[in-house]
Amino acid sequence: MAVVLGIETSCDETAASVVDENFHVLSSVIESSIDQHRAFGGVVPELAGRAHVTTIAPVVRRALLDAGLDPHRPDIDGIAVTSGPGLIGSLLVGLSVAKAYALAWGVPFVGVNHLEGHLFAPLLEQSDLEWPLLTLLVSGGHSMIVYQSGPGQHEVLGETIDDAAGEAYDKVARWLGLGYPGGPEIDRLAQQGTPGRLKLPVSMTGADFDFSFSGLKTAVVRATQKQADVAVADVAASFQAAVAEQLLRKLRAAMSQYDVKGVALAGGVAANSALRAGVAQLAQEFGVVSHLPTLVMCTDNAAMIAAAGIYRLKSSGPSPMELSARPNWQLEDVS
Amino acid sequence: MNIVAIETATQACGVGVRSSSGVEVTRVLDLERRHTEVLVAGLESLLAESGLVARDVDRVVVDIGPGLFTGLRVGIATAIGLAEGLGCERVGVTSLELLAHGAYDAGVRGTLVSAVDGRRGEVFIQTFKLGDDVEATGVPSVARPRDVVIEWATNGASVTFTGDGVQRYVGDFDAVPNGQLFAQTVPSLHAALSLGARRDAQPSLAPLYLREADAVANFATRERRL
Ligand SMILES: [Zn+2]
Repeated sequence: MAVVLGIETSCDETAASVVDENFHVLSSVIESSIDQHRAFGGVVPELAGRAHVTTIAPVVRRALLDAGLDPHRPDIDGIAVTSGPGLIGSLLVGLSVAKAYALAWGVPFVGVNHLEGHLFAPLLEQSDLEWPLLTLLVSGGHSMIVYQSGPGQHEVLGETIDDAAGEAYDKVARWLGLGYPGGPEIDRLAQQGTPGRLKLPVSMTGADFDFSFSGLKTAVVRATQKQADVAVADVAASFQAAVAEQLLRKLRAAMSQYDVKGVALAGGVAANSALRAGVAQLAQEFGVVSHLPTLVMCTDNAAMIAAAGIYRLKSSGPSPMELSARPNWQLEDVS
Repeated sequence: MNIVAIETATQACGVGVRSSSGVEVTRVLDLERRHTEVLVAGLESLLAESGLVARDVDRVVVDIGPGLFTGLRVGIATAIGLAEGLGCERVGVTSLELLAHGAYDAGVRGTLVSAVDGRRGEVFIQTFKLGDDVEATGVPSVARPRDVVIEWATNGASVTFTGDGVQRYVGDFDAVPNGQLFAQTVPSLHAALSLGARRDAQPSLAPLYLREADAVANFATRERRL
């Protein structure tokens, strides 16, 4: 059976995973340098790059051993590595190491688009996935609605025109004096607050499927200045509700227009409780299956990269050793 | 022992192979920071030309810097992947000592300062004494070219400067009356293979940055100001 090693280093996570051709995860190891970035309120690229160089070898070795493979002569059929989008200095560490392993073991390697990786994550937990599928992909760097007619067949219906949802969470968290990353902090606090206590405008009411979160962040700043008596938990709950409302309203519109068998959530923000509840409810309403990946599959991991790599190795073949990183690689440009 | 050497500490990218029969091939693959694109492909062809496959490699030698951070990481990550993947030995050498050995092999003797371009108006430097052999008389450090020039012009000792840091600030280094320039921008791959063969293998490889990440440096400054 074909087995692929996945490597992911596009941001602060250093990850490796072994996945077989039936999308069974044989191992998945994730290390993060996030603790080093907290004080700066965001990922510092140079620190992330340094951490990857230190961590990558032990992470890959652990993933191979966990899958029952010899780290020096693993019986694998290929290597999949994230070659974009992401931080250039971080991508290059994973890409370099992947090429070197490919040369050492005499196996092909393929550069995978990180976002396409996220789209493959639901497959790792539900191999009986039915298409077509609508996926709401939300992370620190991306917010988009993607229509998939089959694995690897995707069309971006709409995306953020300014900040990603995760970025807006970070900025609002900073404004509220909360820690970084903002998503989990606001989500936790929001559980204790009442949405709607802080009056926020409804934005992006157009018929398209695009998002905007920059205005919402500004609205939170203005509204908290005007209504200074609103408790922080209520601000968090109101902001979170407004983000979820916009994402779910657009997703609902897409579902009304596209005939699909399922709806999926992907990306780091998919860990958000309000979004998970909302997508589950939408699925029920439209009578389709909902795919809500576990926390570890929502956040950046290498199993999803290996999964996308298995597909890409079959459909497009291996990448040349000359492959360079593509820090701004759009999902639309994947083929 | 079959050895490969990897060089990515400067704008240039190079590889070298020395087979157990003693045949050595070295090649500068690129001069314009295309480390990622040319490195592994170049190494693959050089191995083939040497009649070797990756599995034959017993030892990987890599320039750990100091130099350009991103380039360094490409070279070191590649060395790590190779050594880990093959389960073979690894050795790190510094860009500054490779420059010193490169000058030595070309016949330069006396006091030598290796200088690698560190960007931000700085160079990474180290002082060596080239006599019967190459001996380090200083430690790798960061300096402003002008300060290096003033120091040597003031002490009046005869000195040779080499490295891409000298090339970058050639106007400054050329002004030292008691100094000479030895033109050399790419750290010597021949030296990497020779030193790599002589040294003890190391358990792990880490870049020699000599400078904190900007954000950390700026953050520390900000903290002090508060
Ligand atoms: Zn991601």
